[in-house]
Amino acid sequence: MVDMNALSELLQRGKAKDVKEMTQQAVDEGISVQTILDDGLLSGMNVIGVKFKNNEIFVPEVLIAARAMNAGMEVIKPLLIDNNIESRGVVVIGTVKGDLHDIGKNLVGMMMRGKGLTVIDLGTDVAPQTFIESAISNKADIIACSALLTTTMKEMGNVVKAVKDARLDESVKVMIGGAPVTESFKDMIQADAYSSDAASAAEIALQLCRKVS
Amino acid sequence: MTGKERVFRTFEGELTDSLPWVPFTGVHAGKLLDYDAKEVSTDADKIVAAALEVNRLYKPDGQPVMFDLQIEAEVLGCELLWSEDSPPTVKTHPLAQENEIPTYIPKRSDGRIATHLKAIETLKPLIGDTTALYGICCGPFTLASHLRGTDIFMDMILDEEYVHSLLTYTNEVAKAVASYLIESGIDVVAVVDPLISQISPSHFNQFMSSPFSDLFSHIREQKAKSSFFVCGNATMNIEPMCNTRPDGISVDENVSLAEAKKITDRYEITLGGNIPLTTVMLLGSQPDNMKTVVDLLDTVSHKHLIVSPGCDMPYDTPIENTIAVEHAVHETESARSMVKNYEKTETEFTGTLPDYEHLERPLVEVFTLDSTTCAACTYMLAAAQDAVSSIKESVDLVEYPYTTMENIGRCRKMGVTKLPSIYINGKIAFSSVIPAREELVKRIREVM
Repeated sequence: MVDMNALSELLQRGKAKDVKEMTQQAVDEGISVQTILDDGLLSGMNVIGVKFKNNEIFVPEVLIAARAMNAGMEVIKPLLIDNNIESRGVVVIGTVKGDLHDIGKNLVGMMMRGKGLTVIDLGTDVAPQTFIESAISNKADIIACSALLTTTMKEMGNVVKAVKDARLDESVKVMIGGAPVTESFKDMIQADAYSSDAASAAEIALQLCRKVS
Repeated sequence: MTGKERVFRTFEGELTDSLPWVPFTGVHAGKLLDYDAKEVSTDADKIVAAALEVNRLYKPDGQPVMFDLQIEAEVLGCELLWSEDSPPTVKTHPLAQENEIPTYIPKRSDGRIATHLKAIETLKPLIGDTTALYGICCGPFTLASHLRGTDIFMDMILDEEYVHSLLTYTNEVAKAVASYLIESGIDVVAVVDPLISQISPSHFNQFMSSPFSDLFSHIREQKAKSSFFVCGNATMNIEPMCNTRPDGISVDENVSLAEAKKITDRYEITLGGNIPLTTVMLLGSQPDNMKTVVDLLDTVSHKHLIVSPGCDMPYDTPIENTIAVEHAVHETESARSMVKNYEKTETEFTGTLPDYEHLERPLVEVFTLDSTTCAACTYMLAAAQDAVSSIKESVDLVEYPYTTMENIGRCRKMGVTKLPSIYINGKIAFSSVIPAREELVKRIREVM
């Protein structure tokens, strides 16, 4: 019988091929998809998030673990749909207009996936209207905006405004983050949430999705 | 003692008359002369003019000529996204789809390397005797990421040999650029590698120790100083960075300066930092900036210490905030008492303000931190004196330095929030930026 702790360990070590094989083995052994997802893959990614937040691991280790998680997810994705296992929420994420930095945004997206959220990554240099259109078409719970520059963080205010103008502010929350962004900046532009690190961002997103739904 | 001596003696571990101050004025320098970011990233004459204005207004002991990590990447084929108010950003990564190792080493005449060198060579005889000139060189890891994209992080685990080879190449580029900078007159080569904060100490030791040690040794051989600039929370890598033997290390506000200094002091390496860029320099007030510097200086030993912003200053950093920082670094005790007075909320103006609506002649009031110690304030007062003396008719002129309780109360009563400022007949005319004589004379004449 496949040990979910062993699956989690392999994921944390970034062993994509092994994670894929062990996930398939678990499926073949009849372990429920929900168990594989929660106790194996998401559990492993959760440990990665905590270690990253505590400065015990860094960007390469997170990326390699996320790659392993994706390898496992490929195996169970069709089964999640067959078993009507729903996503815990939908996040539309992107780096704001005029800003091409994506390391932080990618990490946040990975951590959110690691929490069982569906993440639509719009990439970099994303205009407010693009966030809105994607949020509507994907029935998103959250728009998550990233910026690395003091000059582009102002764009986050435009996204908040666009959400209000589109009358989505009841159903869609706006999260912001990035090196120059602060809690007080969040208050200033009236965004819903701010996080200083990727792991906390994922946790906050999960909480927001629970509140929204 | 000149600023340059202050910087060099600090590197040697001597205590100086005041701490050295090195503002990282990249594109922000352009703001002083109304040039946009692209102009002060591409036009050598404008880079020089802006750097001279930085030198005049901010009284730096050392200053960068440019602060742009994309110069080498652009020469090596990365496309850039330009902005009016920030440095360019790398848009495309030539090695994103292929595991090639380039061989081309940029020449002095290539792209904006030539622009940078021309600006250095022009500035050197103008301010190089008294101010340490910093030359920014893109660090080998960040340059590798510019070329490869963020896959470089995965490569560190999946294809170690490739990363070693790519870093060997980018380090050769960095060494060549460092040589060009030194030959052109740079005193301190600042190797800026923000991505270092994103990797573990073991990855640092595995991949970075060798190229960075080699680079700093190369700079040392050419009798120049080196500084290793990093952004983000690089706390865990401060010690491995020390082991590569730079003369200095510079960190931003994500690192505790006091904790980092305990480590750098053991290696007799000079630490630079770390005034918060956004919360304090960009969005804070003048007293916030002075208080931050005074508090910062109280937390660390002053030997082997350079005071700097956490990183490249945002274009729109208020000029008066930078002036306040300079004052707090060079006149710390004066700033300490100003901050103390500022915090006294009970300070009220007990005198009488002039009857501005019924003045017999124009009244020019110059509000300063202190024109005897603050360079920008000296220039502001001198500009006012010069303008007033050039007007035949009688004009009243008075300075209110922010050094007495009465003047602090007056500033509050008048609503003066930026120093230095010039008010004409009770109304704000100029703040922070020193006006030209003609401009000031014109404004005075408007009330005559």
